Amino acid sequence: MAKKQKTAKRTANKVSYRAAMSVATNEKKTAKQRVAAIASAPLAVIESDKDMQAMLAVLSDTGEPIAVRLAALQALQAAAFSVLAFASNRGDYIATLRKVATDPDPELRQRVLGALMRDQDGFAQKKLLDGLKDPAKALVPPEKALQLLSYDIHADAYKIAREIVKEPPNDDAKREALRLLAADTKAAPIFEKVLRDKKELRENRQIAASALHSLNPDKFQQYARKIVLDKSDYDDIRATSLVALQQFGDDEALGKDKALLKSVKGFSGGKTQAKYKQTAKRFLSKFAG
Amino acid sequence: MRHAAATRALPEEAFAAHVDALAADPARRGELNALLREQHPHYDQRGAATIVRMRGWVLLALARTGVSDADLIFVLEELESGLDPYLVAAAARALRSYPSPNETFAPFVMRALTNIRYHDEPISFESYGEYAVAATGTSPVRELLATLAWLGPHAAGVLDEVRLLRKQGSGLPAKFRAGIDRAIQAIRGPERSDPPAAPACCGAPATGVERTSSWPPDERRSCAPVASAVLQDHDGATITFKEFFTGQPAIVAFFYTRCDNPLKCSLTVTKLARVQALLQAQGLAGRIHTAAITYDPAFDLPERLRIYGKDRGVRLDAHHRMLRAADANDALAEHFALGVNFIESLVNRHRIELYILDAQGRIAASFERIHWDEADVVARAMKILDERAAR
Repeated sequence: MAKKQKTAKRTANKVSYRAAMSVATNEKKTAKQRVAAIASAPLAVIESDKDMQAMLAVLSDTGEPIAVRLAALQALQAAAFSVLAFASNRGDYIATLRKVATDPDPELRQRVLGALMRDQDGFAQKKLLDGLKDPAKALVPPEKALQLLSYDIHADAYKIAREIVKEPPNDDAKREALRLLAADTKAAPIFEKVLRDKKELRENRQIAASALHSLNPDKFQQYARKIVLDKSDYDDIRATSLVALQQFGDDEALGKDKALLKSVKGFSGGKTQAKYKQTAKRFLSKFAG
Repeated sequence: MRHAAATRALPEEAFAAHVDALAADPARRGELNALLREQHPHYDQRGAATIVRMRGWVLLALARTGVSDADLIFVLEELESGLDPYLVAAAARALRSYPSPNETFAPFVMRALTNIRYHDEPISFESYGEYAVAATGTSPVRELLATLAWLGPHAAGVLDEVRLLRKQGSGLPAKFRAGIDRAIQAIRGPERSDPPAAPACCGAPATGVERTSSWPPDERRSCAPVASAVLQDHDGATITFKEFFTGQPAIVAFFYTRCDNPLKCSLTVTKLARVQALLQAQGLAGRIHTAAITYDPAFDLPERLRIYGKDRGVRLDAHHRMLRAADANDALAEHFALGVNFIESLVNRHRIELYILDAQGRIAASFERIHWDEADVVARAMKILDERAAR
């Protein structure tokens, strides 16, 4: 009985997959209907090689509505998780993504390059690096290129990221360049500079704190202490530094550091935001008895 | 890190032209072999994807000119532990240019199929640096199946595994069916008058490739150039090379924690833990030291070393340490002639390598490129230990 029910359910699923694919690939239907059909059965494409090829054709066809192509990409990305079922079409999928990486639509390009970079694809990596070196060749904005390149620490992106930190085309690009450099052991001096600079964007200083802690924990401990002692610095930066001291510092030295304890006591009261007061109180309960 | 001052003297296109020129000149074809060594200056300060394009082009040149005995280990290495589709496909094609098929190649080809089958993708060998944007050409799986067919009856030892590739559900996709059938037919072969030789012992290639080297005591290089090199261990303690590596034999593996190929560093360190267990079982844990030294000391700080080792079951104590060079990474690389290169401070490509040092800290044996057997390593180390007792 249970077997019969399972078979019936499978058959019903297949029928609904077929119906969904029929609408999804029908150019006479509206874009809205087709997107809805693709969304209703995201794994329909792995039911047959024919359906997969049809969806790949939709993705690569510049004449199709962009909403449908984006939905097709989403369905294909979901299908790619079913490694076994997807294996027979993986080659076509990768080839199609590479082809679509230079598509006229910027959103599609960006998402396709993201899908390729998650597989550390050499083609996508080269395109992104070429675009950073020569903006005329850029397929995505620099901040996006940096974000995608950061998926692969072995990409040849550190040099160009350092140049972008020095002369950023915009704030977002600088932020992403800093994020990428967080894995570059030679970038510790850059993070020291950003962390010290109170005129720097707070988000960048947070990234710098985290990166320096990873790359040179001893150096970060020194800076963390200085920041906590500096009443003029931002509360969130001081709180982050305080947590780093509490979690990774030398317990014995911290317990004896009267200047630091006094500063944290001040930070635990007054105009400090409530959540940061809690951080300070936790520190004091650990080190000030 | 080495050659830090070196510039990218040769643009990629010029490198490709250089490779083509070497391949076209019978008197210089042997020079292609040097280009397969990771530490070659041409590979300094290049990204990993660039290294893939460059090495792939060298392998393809070998596929045209013919793989020699000296080249063979590089090809088998790629098949055994490579995960990049382009390099695996190029290696599979190169192997077919070896003068004669050999039954010991078959397990390497099957291993490569197992490693790459879910990462198969279209490959273009048409011109340097070209990426396929259509799935009509070749792919690593297609090249590997063609190589199995080339092996023919010499792949008889893996015939059952090849047959499983045909199985619906767990086998390769149906589009490879014709390639699998061709391989099976070739392996079965016509009625043979001279059956292939019996498989070599322990899976070691019988001809053409030597995965280990060893040196008699009077030919071993002194460790003097690195004797004073300071090493920091997983607990942050410092010790010199001489202090840790003299007085008893030692087994040393190289690795780095950011290696993204699970068949290389992660497996090497896991296997080192098994070596330690074998030493322990023989009562030798205190008489033979073990160490895993990172290629990437700037990033692999003591805490990272400790966690990486512990996660892989490595025994960590005064005799068995995870180490980073505190001040002399270049000297260590030169002393061991490490098969590694860098972009900035990050490894861009490395080989698998393990060394056995004698009681004077000299390199007595090495295991390179092909994964070593733990029992072999322990047996070699015990021989070195016996050498000492015999004196």
